[in-house]
Amino acid sequence: MLSAGFFEGDVKVLATQGRGFTPEEIAERAINKVISVGKDSHPTIRAQAEAYKAHIKDVILFYLKEAVQSDRTTIANRLRDAGHPELTKLLEN
Amino acid sequence: MAISQAMATSFKVEILDGIHNFGTGVVRASTAADTFKIALYTSSATLDSTTTVYTTSNEVVGTGYTAGGNTLTISQVPTSTSTTAWLDFADTTWSTSTITANGALIYNSTQSNKAVAILAFGGDKTSTAGDFTIIFPTANSSSAIIRIA
Repeated sequence: MLSAGFFEGDVKVLATQGRGFTPEEIAERAINKVISVGKDSHPTIRAQAEAYKAHIKDVILFYLKEAVQSDRTTIANRLRDAGHPELTKLLEN
Repeated sequence: MAISQAMATSFKVEILDGIHNFGTGVVRASTAADTFKIALYTSSATLDSTTTVYTTSNEVVGTGYTAGGNTLTISQVPTSTSTTAWLDFADTTWSTSTITANGALIYNSTQSNKAVAILAFGGDKTSTAGDFTIIFPTANSSSAIIRIA
């Protein structure tokens, strides 16, 4: 007999209240897409993989923050160009 | 020399690619991938393996959500690892939304909104003037959202 089965994976849902996701939260999602460490891996290999994963996550986080900051610069300029320079204060951390 | 009975892994991938047709097929306008969408539903909805098509019944209503849901991006076209065929969708977000959903339906909007998969969130999930994001599982042969093993 020949057989094959269809399977569907489990999704996660993340939702926020009164804000968007932070760079840290998005970096966590990104790194889990990029690197998956098997739970049955040899402890030494797993430790190396986890260290590498943490490093890559830091890199992703750094550039996400850069992107956010750069986009705020663009938005601030658009607000100034539209005659609303006072609104740029809302973009400051 | 040996013969091992098996379902060809390439066949599993080709099923996901729409290559084989054992029944009544459809005439395709092109070789491009179909458009798949994901719609959100409240806890009042009845969705299960008997669901055949997208419905607006008990679909989520709220700020930042449009009936029919979001179009999914196929981030990994059908491929195989070992003997498992699989594909992946990119995470999808309803931004600046105020919605509550208990589950979702992935459906094929190119093929008359036919149902693909029903997703149960395990409870109500709510965004309030925020982001509502569905995160698809790790893209591999043991976890991906759609697999044929």
